[in-house]
Amino acid sequence: MTDPGPAPAPASPKAVADIVRFDVLQRVQHALMLISFTTLAFTGLVQKFATAAVSEAIVRLLGGIETTRIVHRSAAVVLSAVAIYHVVDAAYRVFVLRTPLTMLPLVEDFKHLYQDVMFYLGRRNRKASYGRYSYAEKVEYLAVVWGTLIMGLTGFMMWNPLASVRWFHGQAIPAAKAAHGGEAILAVLAILLWHFYHVHLRHFNKSIFTGRLTRQEMHEEHPAELERIERGAAAPRPPASVLRRRQQIFIPAAVVFVAAAGFGMFRFVTAETSAVAIAPPAETAPIFVPQTPTPTVPPPPSPTPAPVASSTWAGGLGDLLGQRCGACHGASALSGLSLSSYASALQGGTRGPAVVPGDADASVLVQIQSTGNHAGQLTNAELAVIIAWIQSGAPEQ
Amino acid sequence: MSRLRWMSAFLILAGALLIGVQGAQANASAQGVSNDTCLACHGRPGINLTLDNGDIVPLLVDASMFASSVHGQQGFDCVQCHTTLGNYPHPTFHAADRRDFNTQLYRACQSCHQNEYEKTLDSVHEHARAAGVPEAALCTDCHGAHDTRRLTDPQTHELRSDARTWIPRTCAKCHSAIYDKYLTSVHGAALVGEGNADVPTCVDCHGVHDIGDPTTATFRLKSPELCAGCHTDPQRMDKYGLSTQVLNTYVADFHGTTVTLFEKLTPDAVTNKPVCFDCHGVHDIRRVDDPQKGLAVRENLLARCQRCHPDATADFPDAWLSHYIPSPDRFPLVFSVDLFYKILIPGTLGGMALLVGLDVSWQVRSRLRRRKGAPPEAPAPLAGHPDLPAEESAGSANGPPEEPGVPGAPTDGSQEVDHD
Repeated sequence: MTDPGPAPAPASPKAVADIVRFDVLQRVQHALMLISFTTLAFTGLVQKFATAAVSEAIVRLLGGIETTRIVHRSAAVVLSAVAIYHVVDAAYRVFVLRTPLTMLPLVEDFKHLYQDVMFYLGRRNRKASYGRYSYAEKVEYLAVVWGTLIMGLTGFMMWNPLASVRWFHGQAIPAAKAAHGGEAILAVLAILLWHFYHVHLRHFNKSIFTGRLTRQEMHEEHPAELERIERGAAAPRPPASVLRRRQQIFIPAAVVFVAAAGFGMFRFVTAETSAVAIAPPAETAPIFVPQTPTPTVPPPPSPTPAPVASSTWAGGLGDLLGQRCGACHGASALSGLSLSSYASALQGGTRGPAVVPGDADASVLVQIQSTGNHAGQLTNAELAVIIAWIQSGAPEQ
Repeated sequence: MSRLRWMSAFLILAGALLIGVQGAQANASAQGVSNDTCLACHGRPGINLTLDNGDIVPLLVDASMFASSVHGQQGFDCVQCHTTLGNYPHPTFHAADRRDFNTQLYRACQSCHQNEYEKTLDSVHEHARAAGVPEAALCTDCHGAHDTRRLTDPQTHELRSDARTWIPRTCAKCHSAIYDKYLTSVHGAALVGEGNADVPTCVDCHGVHDIGDPTTATFRLKSPELCAGCHTDPQRMDKYGLSTQVLNTYVADFHGTTVTLFEKLTPDAVTNKPVCFDCHGVHDIRRVDDPQKGLAVRENLLARCQRCHPDATADFPDAWLSHYIPSPDRFPLVFSVDLFYKILIPGTLGGMALLVGLDVSWQVRSRLRRRKGAPPEAPAPLAGHPDLPAEESAGSANGPPEEPGVPGAPTDGSQEVDHD
């Protein structure tokens, strides 16, 4: 939170040493936060605005929505780890090094804001004289703390909805989603407007990467802090013995805190498998269940053949042929063949005489029936009677 | 030139069509076989075909039934479908069993209904048959053979409303268990019970000839659009007082967002996120206030949640907004959070923008002034350690050397020196 840099004794305005502003770990914190925040912003906003074409393109690039969510949650874990580290780091500065809480907003910051507004309005001839952190920076810091808390809490609730409803009302889950989305938009727009303006556009302040500001930059942006450093008023490092005594209390406490936070994080990530991996089948009814029995028209009974009294046309063979063949070869005389009379049977149809007395092989009726595939197929017994009748000269009477 | 070519192409095409049609008719009449000829034999009982398995199939055609069918009404000849039977004796015909008999004869349909036939080649039925399920539906199983009915309006080609009510009974011939469920649904009860043509019949969801497999991931991912086809149509929904926001609210939710993105990016991938029918049911969709299954009844909704979230507790269903848009009455907490951010975001950003704007305008003004050679608004001091008395700077109890600076000026210190 505060970092009493060494106070160089400037020899002349032209040859001044840089002021150390951030130590390595602070710069690492910022770098990790920058990476995780950017990742969270991209992978989160594409979920919030999932139907936008650009979101679709980004999700496609990331390999689908499930991968996007894994990336989002991984970045959330990194950011949470940074937050835990930051708490330990700040506590060390406050409780062990006993440096002042230079990031906390004070009445002075409201005064500076008022002075700056007066300056912009031409009522004052210079801007406020900022200390180690200006109100602009404090606003950002508070926004990060507030944002991380909100995002962490609401993110936890969406990640673990079943566990969350044990502690909150069910409605808290969609409320958490609303807050997560609203806070995301606020954070991203604030970064773009406030952060980018102050440290990129207005003046590209690289100190969070290099750790240093030139004396001139310090003079322009943090005049009161520069003065404090050069006056030698920076908080002195406590003597080694005092430091050791405080560390003996701090380190176990910090270990407990980190272990607890780490365990909490682990639970956060692994505790809940809220849903089944594969959705149960939506339709459980069997697919093919024919209505039983499949309605079919039963074949009509075949007409009972008339008893063949004697081997003559009039003695029963004429009736047999009439019943068994008459549907086609009766009045309708299909293929020219009518079996309704003895004479027409001898005459035959388009393919020749149906009956040739004394010669069954030459009779077309026998020829066709012998293939066994006629639409009006006679039984073997019936056919045998007919063949015998023909061989015996096919008597009419 | 090109117009001429178009014209001639059109004429050739039209001519080809005409010849084709005449050819088809000429073919039938060339055989010179009237339906009466066929019915002379096939109009009376007695002609049977014995199949290879011993089954006997009557080859009887009910003349009055055919006459009232769509083909009979239009005067089609038997031999236009039974093209090989124009002469007697008929060519030999063998079929292993009744199914084989139907499977051989249904091919006649494609000579006129080629488009529909080709669609069926992609259908779940055709795939089932290819996989060795001979029972899978053929044209004639659904449409009948000699009793084919007209299903669409000849002018609009839309499904006739009475045909809509026949369809479930047709599908029920093979899918009777699903039909029984459908009858219990809000859709089935309205269609079959009341003849209400507003509700979906089988083919509205499953398609007609190219009926797809409804158990695939692809069908599942597409299904919300299917339901939305009617459920986002105000004309239809207003009649029954139903919300048309069901798709929006679904897509805005975690489940719907996932399904929508899956559908767009990987339409054949499996997701465990629910679609409409996972919660509302498939064939047994009830009214939401149905005491047994309606999802507006809290216990029923919880039971639905628990199908996928087995550990869900009684409060869990409220985690889903039930297609409502949060309002002070419904989901007031969500409404309040939304409202809070609707104020906080513009409030915060507005304040920031105001200060940034003030700073930018001051920078622009001071730069313009410098260019004109006028003295800068504020004296830009040399970077040094002067010992001016503290004026208003807080935290300067010991009178820090405070310089009236140009904090926001370009960082190049040497420029500042020049202007001093």
